[in-house]
Amino acid sequence: MRQDKGKIGIKEYFAIISLTVGAKLSDDTPAIIYENAKNAGWLAALLIGILSFFPIILLIKVYSAHKGKNLHEILLHLFGRFFGTLLSICLLIGGTIAVIADSGTYVDIIGSMYFTKTPAIILYIILMVICAYGAKRGIEQIGAVSWLLLPYIKITLFIALIFTFKKGTLGYLFPFWGEGPLEVAKASVKNVSIFVDFFYLALIMPLISSYKDMKKGTLISLVFITVELSLALVAYVVLFDYTTAEMLNYPFHETIRFIQIGFLANVETLFFPFWLVATLIRFSFYLYLIATLLGGILKIKEFEYLIPLIATIILLIGLSPDAPSITLYTVREKILGLLSPAFMILPPFMWIVAKIRGDFKNETSL
Amino acid sequence: MLKEMLTLLKKQQKQASLSVDKLEGEQTSLKEKEFSRNLQGNLSILKHLYSIPDNKDIKLRELYLEGFNRQAALLFISTITDVKSIEENILKPLTENTSSDKKVKDIVAIQMVHEITLYKDAVKDINKGNALLILDGEPKAYIMDCPDFQSRAIEKPESEILIKGPKEAFNEKAVANISLLRKKIRNENLIVEAVEVSQRSHNDVFVLYIRGLANEKLIDNIKERLGSLDVNSIQNLSLLEEYIEERNYSLFPSILSTERPDRAASFLEDGYIVLLMDNSPDSLVLPATFWAFFHSPEDHYLRFFYGNFTRALRMTALFITIFTSAIYVAITTYHAEMIPPDLLLAIAASREKVPFPAVIEILIMELAFELIREAGLRVPSPIGPTIGIVGALILGQAAVEANIISPIVIIVVALGGLSSFAVSDLSLNFAVRLTRFLFILSAAMMGIYGMTAVFVGGLFYMVSIKSFGVPYLAPMSPNYKSSKDTIFRRLTKNETLRPGFLKTTDLQKKTTGE
Repeated sequence: MRQDKGKIGIKEYFAIISLTVGAKLSDDTPAIIYENAKNAGWLAALLIGILSFFPIILLIKVYSAHKGKNLHEILLHLFGRFFGTLLSICLLIGGTIAVIADSGTYVDIIGSMYFTKTPAIILYIILMVICAYGAKRGIEQIGAVSWLLLPYIKITLFIALIFTFKKGTLGYLFPFWGEGPLEVAKASVKNVSIFVDFFYLALIMPLISSYKDMKKGTLISLVFITVELSLALVAYVVLFDYTTAEMLNYPFHETIRFIQIGFLANVETLFFPFWLVATLIRFSFYLYLIATLLGGILKIKEFEYLIPLIATIILLIGLSPDAPSITLYTVREKILGLLSPAFMILPPFMWIVAKIRGDFKNETSL
Repeated sequence: MLKEMLTLLKKQQKQASLSVDKLEGEQTSLKEKEFSRNLQGNLSILKHLYSIPDNKDIKLRELYLEGFNRQAALLFISTITDVKSIEENILKPLTENTSSDKKVKDIVAIQMVHEITLYKDAVKDINKGNALLILDGEPKAYIMDCPDFQSRAIEKPESEILIKGPKEAFNEKAVANISLLRKKIRNENLIVEAVEVSQRSHNDVFVLYIRGLANEKLIDNIKERLGSLDVNSIQNLSLLEEYIEERNYSLFPSILSTERPDRAASFLEDGYIVLLMDNSPDSLVLPATFWAFFHSPEDHYLRFFYGNFTRALRMTALFITIFTSAIYVAITTYHAEMIPPDLLLAIAASREKVPFPAVIEILIMELAFELIREAGLRVPSPIGPTIGIVGALILGQAAVEANIISPIVIIVVALGGLSSFAVSDLSLNFAVRLTRFLFILSAAMMGIYGMTAVFVGGLFYMVSIKSFGVPYLAPMSPNYKSSKDTIFRRLTKNETLRPGFLKTTDLQKKTTGE
């Protein structure tokens, strides 16, 4: 029988990944991709998926030699106490900044697209309170809620995409390679860190019921998300053409404003709750990840108690920028540029170190 | 640190209070004594214990037994014993007996005869409706099994009404209820254990389970919880429920109460545990998940599509009850652009003369509906609900004409209110009705954003609560091996597994026959 305490199964794991990473298609990530890849953004997304396959598979390979350890413990083991902790701290800072920028962006989306009169601080507080509550409940609960709501969120997204395609012009997809294959490749390499979340997932790998499930779940969700993101990027281009899509900060929300379902002219409030649910689950999970990492670094066993503190810090820093849609966009772009090489280099590096140390020797099969 | 100290302190206080605890006025020291050889001595103690002759229904019959050549006495409570049986099967054989070497056991024509030596046991058994026989010169007493408590007959269920399916319901007699269950499960492994839960009134709780199916740990856990209660009296299961449930302040129920023996039996067969008690026309099923409250036995009695259609309706009703009023508030206050223009104009026109904001309007009407519902329930006649609904209609009509409420609010609230009746389980019904107010308030404050936030927060809460170690939304999420009987059911022949979360000894309950 499955269900050891505090562990999640493959379904929950898949649900968490596809909600947290999958939500990226609805923020300003598409805009960042379009900026370089123009109308071939969807190809760039596919390329990003293929590119990130390598670090992820290496990461899984490294994990296979250290089953039961999370990312921080593996780093400590591979690089020694000092460098391991240093690396973890860097990861923590990078992750926290990313979450701050992301949550700021999402609050900005809510504030500028739906609740224009409500002060951002109130929106932010509600977001953080619910997410902190969810994160404090633990990974099992986050997984359970994700799995419970995943079908509805994906079905509504699918409906939105169908209506988008119905309304769009397929001709906008051409020229097929946008500004040329090289540009597309450049855009993908630059933005490969869109999937850097997978690296952080190594923090919860020991919490998945079995190694096989973890491996299967990671790879399936990588494929699923790549296809999903790519489809969404096609949809935006088809609907808006790339010049507009590039200008739009939040193309998903513009899309659901644009489309029309039968006699309902304004359907964004129909899709908004589902998107919001995904958002809330997403940040709950991120808070949980950060708390795990921080707890690992500070050697705090009951790291759940750190969550309210982390949420408060994120809230305070996230509120500070004056023009969030511009500042956060730049910050996010910078972080993506910074994390991309890290994401591509660190797992191979870890693998090489593990190989040199001979961690794979006493292992029978991958 | 502080927390630990506090819990430690509390524990000590509890222990102190336990050791002080003695049941005043219960004459405990007298009950600890043993019977003596002297009949008159024994009788005087019993008279003292039972306050004879103040206590009018305690009957003490002294008699001379010719066969034994001895004085004897028979003590029983006439209101709870089968007096006819005493006359025919105890008194008559005893007095007519002439042989001196027969034992009492061989003379009386009674099912069970026990010999006891302590007053404690004597009192316990007499209070259960048995008769006590003492012979002069013997330091013991005989307990004759002849209880006859008054109760009503087996009737039709009143709150869990079905069109198709068995029509028997539990009544207030535990013995009858157990018999109804045994009629459905003819298996020697159906165990009925009795646990005494109260010190003064000596209420017994019957723990029913199927040995070899139900999880032993769960059974021990429940028996331990029942045994550790320190109360004077628990009259029935509804009161017991609050003593043994885990989260008293939670909105969601965690123990299922059903008055249908067929339902209880099917839960037993799946490895659940059922509690029965005298004075309760229902049974408690535990552990209970959300789905147990959501389901109705008729879903399985009806054919596949009909049953699932009912399930779909019930789910829709559940969501309508929770969300319609809140969505109305949210949309009219925050998201007016969403409504098609014609409808928007219609709503605006109907609200033109109403002086309140939408949320106040809705709250007034919801409150009125709840009041009428509660009042209608207490009207002492079966036409109560009808009066209630008529009252609601007239009240609504007048309120609209007086421009206090706009007509569309009546539609919204009535829809939500009527839908709430489709959620048949009383506990879940209350949970749903109360959550509705939470959503109305959040919608009034933050529109759809507030509602979604509360919804997700609520869901996080729901998946984290457990009923006797079983997650509330299992087996849907977290996922367990089961027959997937959640929102929809599968073909009965395909429901081959017992729910995995119960950790039953035997997961498979049938083969598909292939």
